[in-house]
Amino acid sequence: MSRFRSFRSLALVLLALAAAAALLAFCAGIPLGPWLAAFAGATFPVALIALGAARKGSLGGLSLPLALLWLLLAAGLGAVLALPHGGPDVAGLPLATAAMIFVLVPVPLLGLGGLYAARFDHHGLSEEDLDRMRRLRRSDSGEA
Amino acid sequence: MPVLGRPLIVAATLVYFLVCLGLGVWALRRTRSARDFWVARQGLGVVVTGLATMAAAFSGFVFLGGPGLTYRIGLASLFINLSIGFTPTLLAWTLAKRLRLLAEVREVYTIPDAVLARYGSRRASGAAAVAVLVGTVGYLGTQLLAMGTLTRAVFGVSLPVGVGAGLAVLLFYSVAGGMMAGVYTDVFQGTLMVLAAVAVFAYAMAAGGGFERVVHSIAASPRFGRGFLEPLGKTPALTALGFFFVFGIGVLGQPHMLNKFYMIQDPRRLRWLPLVLGSSQTLCLLIWLGIGLAVPALVAQGKLAPLAKPDDAAPSFLLGFTPEPLAGLAVAAILAAIMSTADSFMNLGAAVLVRDLPRCAGRRVKKELFWGRIATIGVTVAAAALALGYNDLIALLGTFSFGTFGAALAPALAVGLNWKRVTAAAATASIVTGTALNLALEFLARQTFFPSLPKPPLPPGALPTAVSLAASFAVLLAVTAWTGRREPALPEDIAAVMEA
Repeated sequence: MSRFRSFRSLALVLLALAAAAALLAFCAGIPLGPWLAAFAGATFPVALIALGAARKGSLGGLSLPLALLWLLLAAGLGAVLALPHGGPDVAGLPLATAAMIFVLVPVPLLGLGGLYAARFDHHGLSEEDLDRMRRLRRSDSGEA
Repeated sequence: MPVLGRPLIVAATLVYFLVCLGLGVWALRRTRSARDFWVARQGLGVVVTGLATMAAAFSGFVFLGGPGLTYRIGLASLFINLSIGFTPTLLAWTLAKRLRLLAEVREVYTIPDAVLARYGSRRASGAAAVAVLVGTVGYLGTQLLAMGTLTRAVFGVSLPVGVGAGLAVLLFYSVAGGMMAGVYTDVFQGTLMVLAAVAVFAYAMAAGGGFERVVHSIAASPRFGRGFLEPLGKTPALTALGFFFVFGIGVLGQPHMLNKFYMIQDPRRLRWLPLVLGSSQTLCLLIWLGIGLAVPALVAQGKLAPLAKPDDAAPSFLLGFTPEPLAGLAVAAILAAIMSTADSFMNLGAAVLVRDLPRCAGRRVKKELFWGRIATIGVTVAAAALALGYNDLIALLGTFSFGTFGAALAPALAVGLNWKRVTAAAATASIVTGTALNLALEFLARQTFFPSLPKPPLPPGALPTAVSLAASFAVLLAVTAWTGRREPALPEDIAAVMEA
C-alpha cells in the first residue's frame, strides 16, 4: 500500500509542478518561460499515465519506460529550444525537425502502444476485474 | 464553380452521400432504444472504436487547415500533431478503461453522466453539460460551415444551399440511426480518410520529385528558405509549445472522442486501442505533412503560383496536380472528415438537452429515443442558423471549442477518475474555471466587436487555451488539497472502477 501511495503521490507532485510550470510559462512572460513550458509538456503526460496505470501497490515494470518517455519528450522539446535553427541537417531536415517527425511521434506510438498491449493484464484490465464489475452492475440510474 | 465540370469529383461526392444515406437506413432498422441511439448498443469491436474515434477527432481542419497552416508558418505547425505519439496510450491508461467500466456498472452514456456517477454531484455534472453544450455549438457550427463551403465548391451552389444539401444527408442518418449510424458512418468515413491521406501523401511526394528534392527545393527557395523547415521557424516558442500542451493534454477532455470508449463491447479489447487509434491517426496526418511540404516545394520549383491565401494549399494541390480519381477520393475524404466530426457533436448536443441537463435538474425525460431524435434536429438547425447568421462568431467559437473541452473536462476526468480524494467541489471549480476562463480569454483575444475592451494580459505568443488548461488543473489540485483532506466514501461500484 505504501508503494502505491508513494507512486501516486509522486505522480500528483509531478502533476502539480507541471501545472505550476505551465501557468508560469504561459502567464508570466519570463525568459525561462519556454523551458518551463517544455518541462510541463514532458511532465504532464508522464504524470497522468503514471496516475492512471499505478495499481495494486506499484507501477511494476512501467517505471523505467515512463522515465524513458519523460527523457525522450524532455530531450526532444529541449533540443527544439536549445539548437540554433534546429541544428545541423539530417536527411535534408534540421536535426530537431527530423527528431520530431521520425522519433517523437513513432517511437512513443509503437513503444507505448506495444507496452500497453503487453502489460494489459497487469496494468490494464484483468478478467477478475471485469468479473467484479459485472457483479457490481447496477440497473438503476447513474446517480450515486 | 471550379470542379463542377470534373465529373469524377462530382460522382465521388454523390457516391459518398449515397453510402452515408444507406448506412443511415441500415442503422434506422437497428435503433430501438436510447442505448442504441446514444452508445450504439455498446456493441463495437476495437477496430471500429479506434477508427470511429479517429474520424470523430479529425475534422476537415486536418485536410484543409493543416496544409494551409504549414504553408503559412512552416513545419512549426507540426507541434499540433506532435503529441499523437503518446495521446492514444494516455487516453487508454487514464480514461478509456475507467469510462468503459463505469458503463459496465452504471447506465452511463455521456460525459456528464460519468461526472455524475463519479462525483455524485448534479452541480458538477451540470457544469460539464454546459461546457459540452457551449463547445458543441462552436464545433458543430464550424463543421457545417466547412461542409457548406465544400459542397458549394463541388456543385456550384450558394452557401445556404450547400449547407442545406450536406445537412440533409447528415440529419437523415444522425436522426434516424443516432450513434449507431454515427459510428458506422465514422468507420466508413475514417477508412476513406486514411486511404485518401496515404494516397495523396504518396502523390504529393512524387509531384515534388521525392522527399529529398521537396525539402531541398524549400530550403533553397528565397520565399521559404531553411526557416520553413526549422522546428520553430518564425513561430514563438511559447506558441509552438502551447500547441503541444493543449493538443497533448486537452485531448483528455474531448467528449466526441471519450464517448466512443463507452461503446466497445468487450472492455478487454481495449488492449489494442492505442495501436489502432494511433496508427490510423498517424496515417491520416500524412496528408498534412504531404501537402504541407509539396505545395511550397512546387511554388519554389515554379510549378505553382504563390498562394494568395494559405488555406488554398490543399484545394490548389488537389485540383491542380492530382488525377481526377484521386481528387474525387480526396474531396470525399474531406467531406467525410467534416461529417464524421459533425455527427458526433449532433449526438452529444442532443444528449445534453434530453439527458444531461434534465438529470441535473433531477428529472428524466420519458421517450428518450423520440426526444433524442427531435433534439438532434433542433441542435443541428440551431447551429446551422448560427453558422450562417453569425459566420465570424461561429469561427471564433470553433477555434476555442477544443480548448474549452480540454480545459473544462480534462482535469476532472483524467485526475478525478484516478484519484479518489478529488471532491465534487474541486471538480465543479475546475470545470467552471476551465470553461469561463477559456471563453473570457479567447473572446478578449479575438473579438473585434468592442474596440475598448483590452487584450488578455498574456506574454506574446502564449495561447489563451494553454493558460485556461493549466489553470483548470491547478484549481482542481488546489481545491482538492483544501477540501479533500480525507478520502471520501465512494459507492462500492465506483470505488471498484477506480481501483481496477
